[in-house]
Amino acid sequence: MILHILNRSPSASRIFQQALDAMGPDDRLLLIEDAVQGALPQLVRYFEPVIGRLFALREDLVSRGLEGRCDDRVLVVDVDGFVTLTEEADKTVSWF
Amino acid sequence: MRYALLVQGGPYSHQASHSALRFAQAVVARGHHLATVFFYHDGVYNAARLSAPPQDEPHLLDAWRRLNDEHGTELLVCIAAGLRRGLLDEREAARHGKQGHSLEAPFELTGLGQLIEAGSHHDRLVTFSP
Amino acid sequence: MTRQDMSAIPNGDLLVILRHGPHGSSWLREGLDAALVAAAFGQRVSLLFLGDGVMALLGGQQVGPLGQKGTQPMLEMLGMYDIETLLVDRGALVERGIGVSDLSVTVSLVESEDIANVLAHHRQILNF
Repeated sequence: MILHILNRSPSASRIFQQALDAMGPDDRLLLIEDAVQGALPQLVRYFEPVIGRLFALREDLVSRGLEGRCDDRVLVVDVDGFVTLTEEADKTVSWF
Repeated sequence: MRYALLVQGGPYSHQASHSALRFAQAVVARGHHLATVFFYHDGVYNAARLSAPPQDEPHLLDAWRRLNDEHGTELLVCIAAGLRRGLLDEREAARHGKQGHSLEAPFELTGLGQLIEAGSHHDRLVTFSP
Repeated sequence: MTRQDMSAIPNGDLLVILRHGPHGSSWLREGLDAALVAAAFGQRVSLLFLGDGVMALLGGQQVGPLGQKGTQPMLEMLGMYDIETLLVDRGALVERGIGVSDLSVTVSLVESEDIANVLAHHRQILNF
Protein backbone atom coordinates (compact mmCIF):
# COMPACT_ATOMS: atom_id res chain seq x y z
CA MET A 1 0.00 0.00 0.00
CA ILE A 2 1.29 3.42 -0.98
CA LEU A 3 0.47 6.65 0.84
CA HIS A 4 -0.03 9.45 -1.69
CA ILE A 5 0.32 12.98 -0.34
CA LEU A 6 -1.26 15.89 -2.23
CA ASN A 7 -0.72 19.59 -1.44
CA ARG A 8 -2.62 21.36 -4.26
CA SER A 9 -6.24 22.44 -4.19
CA PRO A 10 -8.32 20.47 -6.72
CA SER A 11 -10.00 23.70 -7.81
CA ALA A 12 -6.69 25.32 -8.73
CA SER A 13 -4.64 22.46 -10.12
CA ARG A 14 -5.20 19.24 -12.05
CA ILE A 15 -2.37 17.51 -10.23
CA PHE A 16 -4.96 15.65 -8.15
CA GLN A 17 -5.91 13.72 -11.30
CA GLN A 18 -2.33 12.50 -11.69
CA ALA A 19 -2.40 11.32 -8.11
CA LEU A 20 -5.73 9.52 -8.57
CA ASP A 21 -4.51 7.85 -11.78
CA ALA A 22 -1.46 6.57 -9.92
CA MET A 23 -3.40 5.09 -6.99
CA GLY A 24 -3.82 1.35 -6.64
CA PRO A 25 -6.99 -0.17 -5.12
CA ASP A 26 -5.58 -0.18 -1.55
CA ASP A 27 -3.56 3.04 -1.73
CA ARG A 28 -4.46 5.99 0.48
CA LEU A 29 -4.54 9.71 -0.23
CA LEU A 30 -3.68 12.38 2.35
CA LEU A 31 -4.59 16.01 1.67
CA ILE A 32 -2.20 18.53 3.22
CA GLU A 33 -1.56 22.27 2.85
CA ASP A 34 -3.76 23.85 0.14
CA ALA A 35 -5.14 20.44 -0.82
CA VAL A 36 -7.26 20.32 2.36
CA GLN A 37 -9.79 22.46 0.49
CA GLY A 38 -10.62 19.21 -1.28
CA ALA A 39 -12.22 18.01 1.97
CA LEU A 40 -15.05 20.55 1.59
CA PRO A 41 -18.40 18.98 0.63
CA GLN A 42 -18.46 21.15 -2.52
CA LEU A 43 -15.04 19.91 -3.71
CA VAL A 44 -14.82 16.38 -2.34
CA ARG A 45 -16.49 15.07 -5.51
CA TYR A 46 -13.08 15.26 -7.22
CA PHE A 47 -11.95 12.52 -4.86
CA GLU A 48 -15.04 10.29 -5.20
CA PRO A 49 -12.98 7.27 -6.43
CA VAL A 50 -10.97 7.15 -3.19
CA ILE A 51 -13.64 7.95 -0.60
CA GLY A 52 -13.00 5.75 2.43
CA ARG A 53 -9.26 6.06 1.98
CA LEU A 54 -9.20 9.85 1.74
CA PHE A 55 -7.53 11.64 4.65
CA ALA A 56 -6.98 15.31 5.47
CA LEU A 57 -4.47 16.84 7.88
CA ARG A 58 -6.28 18.48 10.77
CA GLU A 59 -3.82 21.28 11.49
CA ASP A 60 -3.94 22.47 7.88
CA LEU A 61 -7.74 22.52 8.10
CA VAL A 62 -7.65 24.37 11.42
CA SER A 63 -5.18 27.03 10.28
CA ARG A 64 -7.41 27.75 7.28
CA GLY A 65 -10.61 27.90 9.30
CA LEU A 66 -11.91 24.79 7.58
CA GLU A 67 -12.21 22.38 10.51
CA GLY A 68 -15.86 21.53 10.96
CA ARG A 69 -16.59 22.33 7.32
CA CYS A 70 -15.32 18.98 6.03
CA ASP A 71 -17.40 16.35 4.31
CA ASP A 72 -18.21 13.57 6.81
CA ARG A 73 -16.60 10.97 4.59
CA VAL A 74 -13.15 12.54 4.84
CA LEU A 75 -10.96 10.96 7.52
CA VAL A 76 -9.33 13.78 9.47
CA VAL A 77 -5.95 12.97 11.08
CA ASP A 78 -3.59 14.98 13.26
CA VAL A 79 0.15 15.09 12.56
CA ASP A 80 0.61 11.95 14.67
CA GLY A 81 -1.90 10.27 12.38
CA PHE A 82 0.15 11.48 9.41
CA VAL A 83 3.17 9.66 10.81
CA THR A 84 1.03 6.56 11.44
CA LEU A 85 -0.12 6.61 7.81
CA THR A 86 3.53 6.61 6.69
CA GLU A 87 4.28 3.74 9.09
CA GLU A 88 1.46 1.67 7.63
CA ALA A 89 2.42 2.35 4.00
CA ASP A 90 5.24 0.57 2.19
CA LYS A 91 6.29 3.87 0.65
CA THR A 92 5.03 7.39 0.07
CA VAL A 93 4.66 9.56 -3.03
CA SER A 94 4.16 13.33 -2.87
CA TRP A 95 2.20 15.13 -5.57
CA PHE A 96 2.71 18.89 -5.94
CA MET B 1 11.81 2.99 12.07
CA ARG B 2 14.46 5.07 10.35
CA TYR B 3 13.06 8.05 8.45
CA ALA B 4 14.47 10.36 5.80
CA LEU B 5 12.82 13.56 4.59
CA LEU B 6 13.33 15.27 1.25
CA VAL B 7 12.60 19.01 1.44
CA GLN B 8 12.25 20.86 -1.87
CA GLY B 9 10.34 24.03 -0.97
CA GLY B 10 12.00 27.36 -0.20
CA PRO B 11 11.54 28.50 3.41
CA TYR B 12 8.92 31.22 3.97
CA SER B 13 7.87 31.04 0.29
CA HIS B 14 5.90 27.81 0.54
CA GLN B 15 4.51 25.78 3.40
CA ALA B 16 6.68 22.79 2.47
CA SER B 17 9.48 23.56 4.97
CA HIS B 18 7.02 24.14 7.82
CA SER B 19 5.15 20.95 6.94
CA ALA B 20 8.40 19.01 6.85
CA LEU B 21 9.49 20.38 10.21
CA ARG B 22 6.14 19.59 11.86
CA PHE B 23 6.31 16.06 10.45
CA ALA B 24 9.93 15.73 11.61
CA GLN B 25 8.98 16.67 15.16
CA ALA B 26 6.10 14.19 15.14
CA VAL B 27 8.36 11.42 13.80
CA VAL B 28 10.85 11.79 16.66
CA ALA B 29 8.04 12.22 19.22
CA ARG B 30 6.72 8.82 18.17
CA GLY B 31 10.10 7.28 18.94
CA HIS B 32 11.36 6.88 15.38
CA HIS B 33 14.86 7.82 14.31
CA LEU B 34 14.88 10.74 11.90
CA ALA B 35 18.20 9.91 10.31
CA THR B 36 18.37 12.32 7.39
CA VAL B 37 16.83 15.50 6.05
CA PHE B 38 17.94 16.12 2.48
CA PHE B 39 17.44 19.58 0.96
CA TYR B 40 17.05 19.81 -2.83
CA HIS B 41 15.63 22.28 -5.35
CA ASP B 42 14.71 25.54 -3.52
CA GLY B 43 14.75 23.59 -0.26
CA VAL B 44 18.48 24.32 -0.10
CA TYR B 45 17.67 27.86 1.10
CA ASN B 46 16.68 26.34 4.45
CA ALA B 47 20.42 26.14 5.10
CA ALA B 48 21.11 29.87 4.55
CA ARG B 49 23.08 30.68 7.70
CA LEU B 50 22.17 34.37 7.72
CA SER B 51 18.44 33.73 7.75
CA ALA B 52 16.87 36.32 10.07
CA PRO B 53 13.10 35.93 10.29
CA PRO B 54 11.06 38.29 12.50
CA GLN B 55 11.06 37.18 16.14
CA ASP B 56 7.36 36.36 16.15
CA GLU B 57 7.72 33.87 13.28
CA PRO B 58 8.97 30.29 13.43
CA HIS B 59 12.75 30.18 13.07
CA LEU B 60 13.20 27.34 10.59
CA LEU B 61 17.00 27.44 10.55
CA ASP B 62 17.23 27.12 14.33
CA ALA B 63 14.60 24.38 14.34
CA TRP B 64 16.56 22.30 11.83
CA ARG B 65 19.73 22.82 13.88
CA ARG B 66 17.90 21.67 16.99
CA LEU B 67 16.86 18.44 15.27
CA ASN B 68 20.51 17.77 14.55
CA ASP B 69 21.57 18.68 18.06
CA GLU B 70 18.92 16.71 19.93
CA HIS B 71 18.34 13.77 17.62
CA GLY B 72 21.49 13.50 15.52
CA THR B 73 19.56 14.11 12.31
CA GLU B 74 21.99 14.74 9.45
CA LEU B 75 21.14 17.87 7.47
CA LEU B 76 22.30 17.31 3.91
CA VAL B 77 22.21 19.95 1.18
CA CYS B 78 22.58 18.97 -2.46
CA ILE B 79 25.82 20.60 -3.55
CA ALA B 80 24.78 21.11 -7.19
CA ALA B 81 21.48 22.74 -6.23
CA GLY B 82 23.17 24.72 -3.44
CA LEU B 83 26.09 26.18 -5.40
CA ARG B 84 23.79 27.39 -8.17
CA ARG B 85 21.68 29.20 -5.58
CA GLY B 86 24.55 30.73 -3.60
CA LEU B 87 24.72 28.23 -0.73
CA LEU B 88 28.44 27.70 -0.13
CA ASP B 89 30.31 26.47 2.92
CA GLU B 90 33.78 27.87 3.76
CA ARG B 91 35.57 25.33 1.62
CA GLU B 92 33.43 25.94 -1.47
CA ALA B 93 33.59 29.70 -0.95
CA ALA B 94 37.39 29.53 -0.96
CA ARG B 95 37.38 27.25 -3.99
CA HIS B 96 35.21 29.70 -5.92
CA GLY B 97 37.09 32.80 -4.70
CA LYS B 98 34.12 34.16 -2.72
CA GLN B 99 34.37 36.32 0.38
CA GLY B 100 32.32 34.88 3.19
CA HIS B 101 30.22 31.74 3.22
CA SER B 102 26.48 31.17 3.40
CA LEU B 103 26.19 27.65 4.80
CA GLU B 104 27.76 26.11 7.87
CA ALA B 105 27.60 23.04 10.10
CA PRO B 106 25.47 21.21 11.03
CA PHE B 107 24.34 21.56 7.41
CA GLU B 108 26.58 19.65 5.00
CA LEU B 109 26.97 20.03 1.25
CA THR B 110 26.76 16.57 -0.26
CA GLY B 111 26.06 14.87 -3.55
CA LEU B 112 22.72 13.52 -4.69
CA GLY B 113 24.07 10.06 -4.02
CA GLN B 114 23.41 10.70 -0.33
CA LEU B 115 19.71 11.12 -1.12
CA ILE B 116 19.69 7.86 -3.06
CA GLU B 117 21.47 6.12 -0.17
CA ALA B 118 19.08 7.59 2.38
CA GLY B 119 16.18 6.33 0.28
CA SER B 120 17.52 2.80 0.15
CA HIS B 121 18.94 2.48 3.69
CA HIS B 122 16.12 4.05 5.67
CA ASP B 123 12.66 2.56 6.15
CA ARG B 124 10.68 5.58 4.94
CA LEU B 125 11.35 8.57 2.71
CA VAL B 126 8.76 11.36 2.80
CA THR B 127 8.96 14.32 0.40
CA PHE B 128 7.77 17.88 1.04
CA SER B 129 7.65 19.99 -2.10
CA PRO B 130 6.39 23.51 -2.88
CA MET C 1 3.33 -1.33 -24.26
CA THR C 2 -0.09 -2.93 -24.15
CA ARG C 3 -1.94 -3.93 -21.03
CA GLN C 4 -1.06 -7.56 -21.68
CA ASP C 5 2.60 -6.61 -21.51
CA MET C 6 2.40 -5.16 -18.02
CA SER C 7 3.90 -8.30 -16.50
CA ALA C 8 7.00 -7.20 -18.42
CA ILE C 9 7.43 -4.11 -16.23
CA PRO C 10 10.68 -4.77 -14.45
CA ASN C 11 10.81 -4.66 -10.69
CA GLY C 12 13.01 -1.64 -10.17
CA ASP C 13 14.80 -0.13 -7.20
CA LEU C 14 13.77 3.40 -8.05
CA LEU C 15 11.01 4.97 -10.11
CA VAL C 16 11.57 8.63 -11.02
CA ILE C 17 8.33 10.32 -12.09
CA LEU C 18 8.82 13.36 -14.33
CA ARG C 19 5.84 15.70 -14.65
CA HIS C 20 7.40 18.95 -15.84
CA GLY C 21 8.65 19.97 -19.25
CA PRO C 22 12.05 21.45 -20.11
CA HIS C 23 13.08 25.11 -19.59
CA GLY C 24 10.10 26.31 -17.48
CA SER C 25 11.55 25.06 -14.19
CA SER C 26 14.42 22.97 -12.91
CA TRP C 27 12.22 19.99 -11.89
CA LEU C 28 12.94 17.98 -15.03
CA ARG C 29 16.69 18.55 -14.86
CA GLU C 30 16.85 17.80 -11.15
CA GLY C 31 14.70 14.69 -11.56
CA LEU C 32 16.92 13.38 -14.35
CA ASP C 33 19.99 14.19 -12.21
CA ALA C 34 18.57 12.04 -9.42
CA ALA C 35 17.88 9.20 -11.87
CA LEU C 36 21.42 9.32 -13.31
CA VAL C 37 23.03 9.38 -9.87
CA ALA C 38 20.90 6.45 -8.69
CA ALA C 39 21.88 4.47 -11.77
CA ALA C 40 25.54 5.34 -11.17
CA PHE C 41 25.07 3.88 -7.66
CA GLY C 42 24.01 0.62 -9.27
CA GLN C 43 20.26 0.94 -8.77
CA ARG C 44 17.79 -0.30 -11.36
CA VAL C 45 16.05 2.93 -12.35
CA SER C 46 12.88 3.44 -14.40
CA LEU C 47 11.48 6.75 -15.60
CA LEU C 48 7.77 7.50 -15.85
CA PHE C 49 6.69 10.56 -17.83
CA LEU C 50 3.29 11.93 -16.85
CA GLY C 51 1.40 15.07 -17.93
CA ASP C 52 3.71 17.89 -19.06
CA GLY C 53 6.63 15.55 -18.43
CA VAL C 54 6.13 14.07 -21.91
CA MET C 55 7.40 17.38 -23.33
CA ALA C 56 10.85 16.28 -22.18
CA LEU C 57 10.82 13.66 -24.92
CA LEU C 58 9.94 15.82 -27.91
CA GLY C 59 12.69 16.05 -30.56
CA GLY C 60 14.11 19.34 -31.82
CA GLN C 61 14.66 21.06 -28.48
CA GLN C 62 17.15 23.91 -28.30
CA VAL C 63 19.16 25.78 -25.71
CA GLY C 64 17.44 28.89 -24.31
CA PRO C 65 18.19 32.44 -25.56
CA LEU C 66 20.69 33.03 -22.72
CA GLY C 67 22.32 29.70 -23.34
CA GLN C 68 20.26 27.84 -20.74
CA LYS C 69 20.97 24.18 -21.21
CA GLY C 70 18.02 22.03 -22.09
CA THR C 71 17.57 18.46 -20.93
CA GLN C 72 17.87 16.66 -24.26
CA PRO C 73 21.59 15.86 -23.76
CA MET C 74 20.68 14.22 -20.44
CA LEU C 75 18.10 12.01 -22.16
CA GLU C 76 20.77 10.88 -24.58
CA MET C 77 22.94 9.84 -21.62
CA LEU C 78 20.33 7.53 -20.11
CA GLY C 79 21.44 4.53 -22.18
CA MET C 80 25.02 4.89 -21.00
CA TYR C 81 23.74 4.66 -17.44
CA ASP C 82 21.67 1.55 -18.27
CA ILE C 83 18.40 3.41 -17.76
CA GLU C 84 16.35 1.72 -20.44
CA THR C 85 12.85 1.67 -18.98
CA LEU C 86 11.21 4.88 -20.19
CA LEU C 87 7.48 4.64 -19.53
CA VAL C 88 5.18 7.24 -21.01
CA ASP C 89 1.53 7.95 -20.27
CA ARG C 90 -0.21 7.43 -23.61
CA GLY C 91 -3.02 9.81 -22.66
CA ALA C 92 -0.58 12.68 -22.07
CA LEU C 93 0.83 12.25 -25.59
CA VAL C 94 -2.64 12.05 -27.15
CA GLU C 95 -3.80 15.12 -25.23
CA ARG C 96 -0.92 17.11 -26.76
CA GLY C 97 -1.17 15.67 -30.25
CA ILE C 98 2.30 14.17 -29.98
CA GLY C 99 3.04 10.87 -31.69
CA VAL C 100 5.68 8.32 -30.76
CA SER C 101 7.56 9.22 -33.96
CA ASP C 102 7.92 12.81 -32.65
CA LEU C 103 9.96 11.58 -29.68
CA SER C 104 13.74 11.70 -29.51
CA VAL C 105 14.13 8.41 -27.61
CA THR C 106 12.58 4.96 -27.59
CA VAL C 107 9.80 4.61 -25.03
CA SER C 108 7.14 2.19 -23.79
CA LEU C 109 3.58 3.49 -23.68
CA VAL C 110 1.50 2.96 -20.55
CA GLU C 111 -2.27 3.22 -20.29
CA SER C 112 -3.50 5.36 -17.40
CA GLU C 113 -5.10 2.34 -15.67
CA ASP C 114 -1.66 0.68 -15.51
CA ILE C 115 0.19 3.56 -13.85
CA ALA C 116 -0.60 2.33 -10.34
CA ASN C 117 0.92 -1.00 -11.31
CA VAL C 118 4.13 0.73 -12.38
CA LEU C 119 4.39 2.43 -8.97
CA ALA C 120 3.77 -0.85 -7.17
CA HIS C 121 6.64 -2.50 -9.08
CA HIS C 122 9.27 -0.17 -7.62
CA ARG C 123 10.73 -0.14 -4.14
CA GLN C 124 11.29 3.60 -4.01
CA ILE C 125 9.64 6.54 -5.82
CA LEU C 126 10.81 10.09 -6.38
CA ASN C 127 8.24 12.43 -7.90
CA PHE C 128 9.40 15.57 -9.74
